[in-house]
Amino acid sequence: MLSRVAESLYWMSRNVERAETLARILDVNYNRTVDRNAAGRERAARIWRSVFDMAGISADVELLEGASLASAAFERCTFSTEYRTSIVSCIRIARSNALSVRAELSTEVWECLNGLYLFVEAQSPRSVAREGPSSFLRSVRDTAQAFGGIVDATVSHDDEWNFLQIGRYLERAAMTARILRNHDFSDDSAHEWQRLLEMCCASEPFAKAQRLSSDPNEALAFLFLHRSFPRSIRFCTHEVDRALHRISETAMGAYSNEAERVTGRLQAMLDFVQIGEILDEGGDRFAARFAERADAIGSSIQSSYFPRVPVG
Amino acid sequence: MQPLLDEYPLLDFFDEFADELGVPRAHYAGLAATLRSIDITEFRHRVDLVNSVLLQRGVTFTVYSDSRGTERILPFDLIPRIVPSGEWSLIKRGIAQRVMALNAFLGDIYGPQRILHERRIPAEMVFSSKFYNREMIGFRVPRDVYIHVSGCDLIRGRDGTYYVLEDNLRTPSGISYVLENRDVLKRSFPRLFENYQPLPVDDYPRRLLDALRHSAPAGVSDPVVVLLTPGIYNSAYFEHTVLARRMGVELVEGSDLLVHDNIVYMKTTKGLQRVDVIYRRIDDDYLDPLVFKADSTLGVTGLMNAYRAGAVGIANAVGTGVADDKAIYPFVPEIIRFYLGEEPILPNVPTYDCTDDPQRRYVTSHLDELVVKNTNQSGGYGMLMGPSASAAERARFKEAIEASPRDFIAQPIIPLSCHPTIVGETLAPRHIDLRPFVLLGDQVDVPPTALTRVALTDGSLVVNSSQGGGSKDTWVLDD
Repeated sequence: MLSRVAESLYWMSRNVERAETLARILDVNYNRTVDRNAAGRERAARIWRSVFDMAGISADVELLEGASLASAAFERCTFSTEYRTSIVSCIRIARSNALSVRAELSTEVWECLNGLYLFVEAQSPRSVAREGPSSFLRSVRDTAQAFGGIVDATVSHDDEWNFLQIGRYLERAAMTARILRNHDFSDDSAHEWQRLLEMCCASEPFAKAQRLSSDPNEALAFLFLHRSFPRSIRFCTHEVDRALHRISETAMGAYSNEAERVTGRLQAMLDFVQIGEILDEGGDRFAARFAERADAIGSSIQSSYFPRVPVG
Repeated sequence: MQPLLDEYPLLDFFDEFADELGVPRAHYAGLAATLRSIDITEFRHRVDLVNSVLLQRGVTFTVYSDSRGTERILPFDLIPRIVPSGEWSLIKRGIAQRVMALNAFLGDIYGPQRILHERRIPAEMVFSSKFYNREMIGFRVPRDVYIHVSGCDLIRGRDGTYYVLEDNLRTPSGISYVLENRDVLKRSFPRLFENYQPLPVDDYPRRLLDALRHSAPAGVSDPVVVLLTPGIYNSAYFEHTVLARRMGVELVEGSDLLVHDNIVYMKTTKGLQRVDVIYRRIDDDYLDPLVFKADSTLGVTGLMNAYRAGAVGIANAVGTGVADDKAIYPFVPEIIRFYLGEEPILPNVPTYDCTDDPQRRYVTSHLDELVVKNTNQSGGYGMLMGPSASAAERARFKEAIEASPRDFIAQPIIPLSCHPTIVGETLAPRHIDLRPFVLLGDQVDVPPTALTRVALTDGSLVVNSSQGGGSKDTWVLDD
């Protein structure tokens, strides 16, 4: 498969995943901060500062103008085109990647993403404001999730799909890490935990797994290290590792390039670390360190498979 | 209920649908009955549905004059154009004959140049062509095929005669619309479609791939074919993706390829992979910065050397443009006689050669009756429609013709035939042309895939997509 195609597939997948996670993060937090009386402005500002960090948006929350802080912050994270990480930007980037590999994509995959693009492009802050962001965010999330399903169901599970998997899970691991990095580990109030779980789409799976445990450490262990929850950092890293090995056909546990070495080392650490050790280091610090390593995996995939200098 | 077909006005042109008395022609009777039974509002609804499907699918083209490079859907008119089998067999023979003759012409002018030595066409017409490629002189292309794919433009005059307007031997586009239009129309009129049983179009990609594989270098038994595109901003990018996908070949950009020791490779995640045939959809000038435009980033450095070394097939061959130079066009009937010893089956449109003094004088003094075309441009760009042009435009063309006569030809305005077309809430006659495609592999192949373009503006004779044209599904009937 062409290196350029692999690269476009990888970025397409990352950007759709990011839009999906971001839509959920915004939905969860908008609903928690829009209520002016209950939530103090200071708490709302703190929440939106953390959301901006998750979203990779460097604006100052204090300087936002608009009817309400929640709406202004939502607009910035959704429609701002000066950041490559807003929902609109992510979908534009994903769609432009899809366009450049249009010949490789199944018609279903293309139509799903093009439909999402046309839907988002047709929206504006004003049109969304009419019924509130929730249904808009829901549509983005649903379509982005459907996209993943359509990919799995219509693309042959060979290299093309493997690169899509890498993009999807690397981005997901990084987003979970960014969410955890912004969690206040000193605040063990129930609504903070609930907010954290919801941003990671984990509140129901966690409740089911833990039978209503209220131990905050159990929730953290779930998000960091759960073996089968599809958004835990460990699970996502494992999926990246497996996809890399399927591409190179190297045995799991061994490596044939830098991407596999970096990923494998991280995987081993996550397989054997205990939640107590993570908390001793500080959950937010551990998450921040993981996010950096996820970036390193990204760079090593770039240099192993999509080298900038011409091959040969 | 307000039927879609009620009063259909006849204009003073040949109408595909109805005869001079307004009675639908035999092969249109079934369609006429259907149109009489459909309600206008319901039909509008169908049209909207179709347009949203096309947009969602991304069946779009890019308009260059628009600075934002806007993607638009090619307006698709739901009323199909029907070509009866008798007419199709004439067209088929006529265009196959032209392509065979022009292919022989190319082999000759880049080889022994018999036709020039025998003074059957003026040598300076060939050598002065911007598209005559000196790199190709003395090089024998794989299997002697130059014109793997072509798509000539046919029009019908007032008496219904088919004329060849242009040969389009470089990178003619439009086939993707044939494939997509058929798909959409089948869903919109399943019953009508079933009754007519037009010849299927969907094996075009396989037939194209056959022709392309044939142009592989000798000795390659299972050639790797790629489609080379200029990229996502090209107006025909959508078409490139459709063809690559349906042929199952890689769609590559110039930067995906490299030449090492005269072998062409593509850069893959598993290293370099050899390429045997390039179906290129970029112009000669951009193919190889070493030989042509040095600043081109669309091409592949060293490609021409690999080609000349016989290591790769290129379709269409480099240098085919000279045979569809508008200034060579008037000589095509002579080219057919010279190489095939046959009379042309399909006539040319009468054409004035501006390098000839008396003809040029006639042209410059009758600009208000003629259409003038720049021989270096295509796609409806650089054209003067005399009767509708302003005095200033005509003056500008007159000056340009006097300054460089070789760059212009002029033709009388052929009154293109009309076809019922959806205009707002009614059916109205609009001018159309026909672009069938010819494939040349181990033999000449004319698939029943033709694009009908329609000038949507009232009275307009310009059908190009860049100039406000649309398209129709074209049903070729079997016996």
